Amino acid sequence: MVEGGHRIHLTLPSALREYARGHDAVDVEAGTLADVVARLAAEFPGLGYRILDDQGRLRRFVNAYVNDESVSHLEPQDVRLRDGDTVHILPSVAGG
Amino acid sequence: MARPKKGNTVVIAGTRKGLFLFHSKDRRTWQSSGPFFKGDTVRHAILDPRDGKTVYAAVTSEHWGAVVARSTDFGATWKVGEEGPRFSKESGLSVTRIWQIQAGQESELYAGTEPAGLFRSTDGGETWASVDALNYFPGRDKWPAGGGGLCLHTILPYPGDPKRMLIGISSSGIFGTNDGGASWRNMDAGIRDFAPGETCKETTTTCVHKMARDPTNPAIVYQQNHVGVYRRARGEDAWTRIEKGLPLNPAYGAPFGFPMVAHPHDRGTAYIAPLAGDGNRVMPGGAMAIYRTANGGKSWSKLTKGLPQKDAWFTVLRDGMRSDAGDPAGIYVGTTTGQIYGSRDDGDSWKLLADHLPQVQCVETGIVGGA
Repeated sequence: MVEGGHRIHLTLPSALREYARGHDAVDVEAGTLADVVARLAAEFPGLGYRILDDQGRLRRFVNAYVNDESVSHLEPQDVRLRDGDTVHILPSVAGG
Repeated sequence: MARPKKGNTVVIAGTRKGLFLFHSKDRRTWQSSGPFFKGDTVRHAILDPRDGKTVYAAVTSEHWGAVVARSTDFGATWKVGEEGPRFSKESGLSVTRIWQIQAGQESELYAGTEPAGLFRSTDGGETWASVDALNYFPGRDKWPAGGGGLCLHTILPYPGDPKRMLIGISSSGIFGTNDGGASWRNMDAGIRDFAPGETCKETTTTCVHKMARDPTNPAIVYQQNHVGVYRRARGEDAWTRIEKGLPLNPAYGAPFGFPMVAHPHDRGTAYIAPLAGDGNRVMPGGAMAIYRTANGGKSWSKLTKGLPQKDAWFTVLRDGMRSDAGDPAGIYVGTTTGQIYGSRDDGDSWKLLADHLPQVQCVETGIVGGA
């Protein structure tokens, strides 16, 4: 249990499910978006690396939403979560 | 696909969209497999020369980061690294791409990254340690990036001496160590400066494109730079131009191109793939030509037999050409339009080995079971 944590529902894009043993969604206890990724990384080795860069920021082409609101522009540790929030991790529409 | 057998020649093609493997017992007919890592860029991949069995691939997802994957069954299965190389929190840097992977002297593996960084692994690419003396070299905050980004793209261990290594960074230049990476020094003297008529000093930042050691004498290194082609031997205080007979980039009056390949066993023999210029990075006149020197760069000859002589408006990238260890040597060239041309006679003649691949980022070779 993360101190100050809440029950958070997280959805994962198809590209990341292979790193989450096939799960398309998981429930975690977390207080911030950074906590969410830390919990993921502990449960699913390699998953956190694919979401955050070396500085703990969302990778350039990774987006995060809390419920329907984009938080991609924020530092993950600054994204405060509330009990029952749903966090969506999505890749940018980029590349070709 | 039939599994490669001991003694087969392997050609590895990393592309903008995945990795392809080719193997042949006679270098005339080839079998292929792939793509592996669909959709991801494989800027470099090698067959580990220490065992002739393990393929390492530097796999970059623009979305999900860069890792090294390895296979010991020629692609039937892959072990993908959980994480890739990382810079420290204090640095403020983050790895975005892996440009180069090289086997070291013993069990270690090296990776060159963007932003420019050198990392060492002793567990086959599972975990990485930063080579701090280079990665946090004084003044790195002023290193200029090349057009492809600030990338460490060349890693040249020194056969028989694990303490020595050269690396190349675009466009920050050449760095050497002789103490196992504990300290590094710039090695750019003698290269043309971008300012007309000027020559770089040892500490000037330069745009090295690729370097290769002469396998018969690893103290000799050949270099394709943004502004010229050079040779330098250990102990010399500057790079020497070796450009007689080469086409020139009109912008600087110097040959422009990316790859530099040394012949596997003929001393003084090397290959380059000159382009029209830095403002027009295509084969000159749309006619594909590889140039070979057989005398350490005193002169170059043009090789075209079997290569397309019209409408060849492509580029050969810095890791797009390699030799194999055969005798005569096989030379392989991958293009940005998805062809691989192969020669089995030291480059005298060429045949199309593969077509319609994604943009070829790298070509590497090896022998199954080791040379």
